[in-house]
Amino acid sequence: MSHLLEINNLSVKFHIFGGTVQAVRGISLNLNKGETLAIVGESGSGKSVTSKAIMGLIPSPPGEIATGDILFEGNDLVKYSKKQLQKIRGKEISMIFQDPMTALNPTMKIGKQIMEGLIKHQGMTKHDAKKRAIELLQLVGIPNPEKRVDEYPHQFSGGMRQRVVIAIALACNPKILIADEPTTALDVTIQAQILDLMRDLQKKTGTAIILITHDLGVVANLAQRVAVMYGGKIVETGTLDEIFYNPKHPYTWGLLSSMPKLHAKTDKLLAIPGTPPDLSNPPKGCPFAPRCPYAMKVCTDHMPEYTEMSSTQRTACWLLDERAPKVEPPATIGVGGSNND
Amino acid sequence: MGRYILKRVGYMLVTFYVVITLTFLSMKMLPGTPFKFANRLTPEQLNQLKHYYGLDQPIPVQYLHYLWNMLHGDLGGSFQYGMQPVTEFLLQRFPISMELGIESMIFGTVLGIVLGIISGIYRGKFLDWGTVTLTVLFISIPSFIFAAILQYFFSVKIQLFPVIGWDSPMTHVLPVISIGVGVMASIARFMRTEMVEVLNQDYIVTAQAKGLSTVAVIYKHAIRNAMIPIVTVIGPMTAAVVTGSLVIENIFAIPGIGSQFIDAIVTNDYPMIMGTTELYAALFIVTILIVDILYGVIDPRIRVSGGKSS
Repeated sequence: MSHLLEINNLSVKFHIFGGTVQAVRGISLNLNKGETLAIVGESGSGKSVTSKAIMGLIPSPPGEIATGDILFEGNDLVKYSKKQLQKIRGKEISMIFQDPMTALNPTMKIGKQIMEGLIKHQGMTKHDAKKRAIELLQLVGIPNPEKRVDEYPHQFSGGMRQRVVIAIALACNPKILIADEPTTALDVTIQAQILDLMRDLQKKTGTAIILITHDLGVVANLAQRVAVMYGGKIVETGTLDEIFYNPKHPYTWGLLSSMPKLHAKTDKLLAIPGTPPDLSNPPKGCPFAPRCPYAMKVCTDHMPEYTEMSSTQRTACWLLDERAPKVEPPATIGVGGSNND
Repeated sequence: MGRYILKRVGYMLVTFYVVITLTFLSMKMLPGTPFKFANRLTPEQLNQLKHYYGLDQPIPVQYLHYLWNMLHGDLGGSFQYGMQPVTEFLLQRFPISMELGIESMIFGTVLGIVLGIISGIYRGKFLDWGTVTLTVLFISIPSFIFAAILQYFFSVKIQLFPVIGWDSPMTHVLPVISIGVGVMASIARFMRTEMVEVLNQDYIVTAQAKGLSTVAVIYKHAIRNAMIPIVTVIGPMTAAVVTGSLVIENIFAIPGIGSQFIDAIVTNDYPMIMGTTELYAALFIVTILIVDILYGVIDPRIRVSGGKSS
């Protein structure tokens, strides 16, 4: 079966003063129609760069897609010209951003910002586009849309602005919606509303979502499949249940352990000791080895191959090699606590 | 909005009053008299002259007298031109300075904004380096040097434009360029900085993510936002250029208010000094008010906090 989006061996490099940063190092991913794929990982793991690469928004220079291809409905977006990409962006693939306070143009009316894409991609007249903009505002749950369509961003609260950003992204019924940390900048109460909204909208429109986040609570809420990124590589992928209840990679264990739990006996937060690798000088072996409590000699020298745990779960870790000692995941990863539910 | 403007006008009047008072006092502290051959006059004659011009009264009385007359639209007569009313001079000469100033501002602003935008878009590329070098050069060279160079090449060598004067459009070219390039350079640098900053904003990425073309992103999203701070600079700059073109007026023998102002100070022509200073002050204050109102027109965030009663 062919996927809606298929990323093969994608590498993204940034040539900066004093060296080259390899932000994304040969990742492969796929996305099916209507599903939600979460890409999780900490800051600097390459998740946002991956999303920018799909949108064709890697600034070049200094950025460069070094290898790999991004197949959207079978066509390689990496080979697309600027003009071709502009036809895809906002129409087939669109994006919502982390910070709604800065993602909207402060001097342009909300309605006009929604209408732009409609006029460009669907050739609507101003009148029709405005009608559609009002519909979209209604759809994302903004009260009194006929009036608010003529207001400016500063007249909206953070949560309302994020709804507007979502309305802009959904304007042309895209096949893929990339949500880059869509709730990070919002209050917790508003976060839940926005997540509910995204889930509702996905049901209504059938859009596939790529959810970029570091918040496992958000992942549990929205995603069907999860890819865990670390040091520019995908260290583990699987279905939501596999990642939460049967994780195999020590980094995934660490992520799950560091999630605050509601009924925890201690009031101490668990952190993964150490810092992420320097991607201007990436490690030869597994990027997580320096922080991994189970690291062996082989880990620092050779990147492990993927081990197929099931038809859907793949993990890159030497512990899964038959010669490795058997290691049990720590008890702290239990998903007992609820977060954002 | 109406209340806001009313309040601002109130402040303006206070500022204006302070300027008048300070100018009056400092002017009275200037050494010398308005009379050319004061040392050859007998004390008797001097007193007669002083009495004639009302200078024999105590300064506070003169001051109140001046204010009273001013309220009735009488700025007094020029001591140097047989008591011909100062207002007549101002009305006759000010439009010329205003014309020179505004033409220079338009020339400088339009070119400056365009250069700044180009420079900001092509940051770090050849076009940017070229613009930056040019602007540093134009900011560093004083306008009178530039004027002299222009006169030498374009008037003397190839005789394209007249050396001096202010009548046909051809005579406007060199003075306007002389003043305008400095304006252009300042605005270009400012605009470049703003442009670079705006292009790094998140909403530019949002606009790109909508699939808009580069031209649309820059034209619809970047330029307007980059222009907002420019408006604040243009206002005071306009006032400074209109009132500060004394040297250029002298070099090109333009009968503007600048040369009048210098003459007035040199000859202690009290009413004339007061009149020109008042004009400059009023112009400056009004320009700044206009800028603040314009600011609200461009930036919707200001409009609301200003208390728009729509």
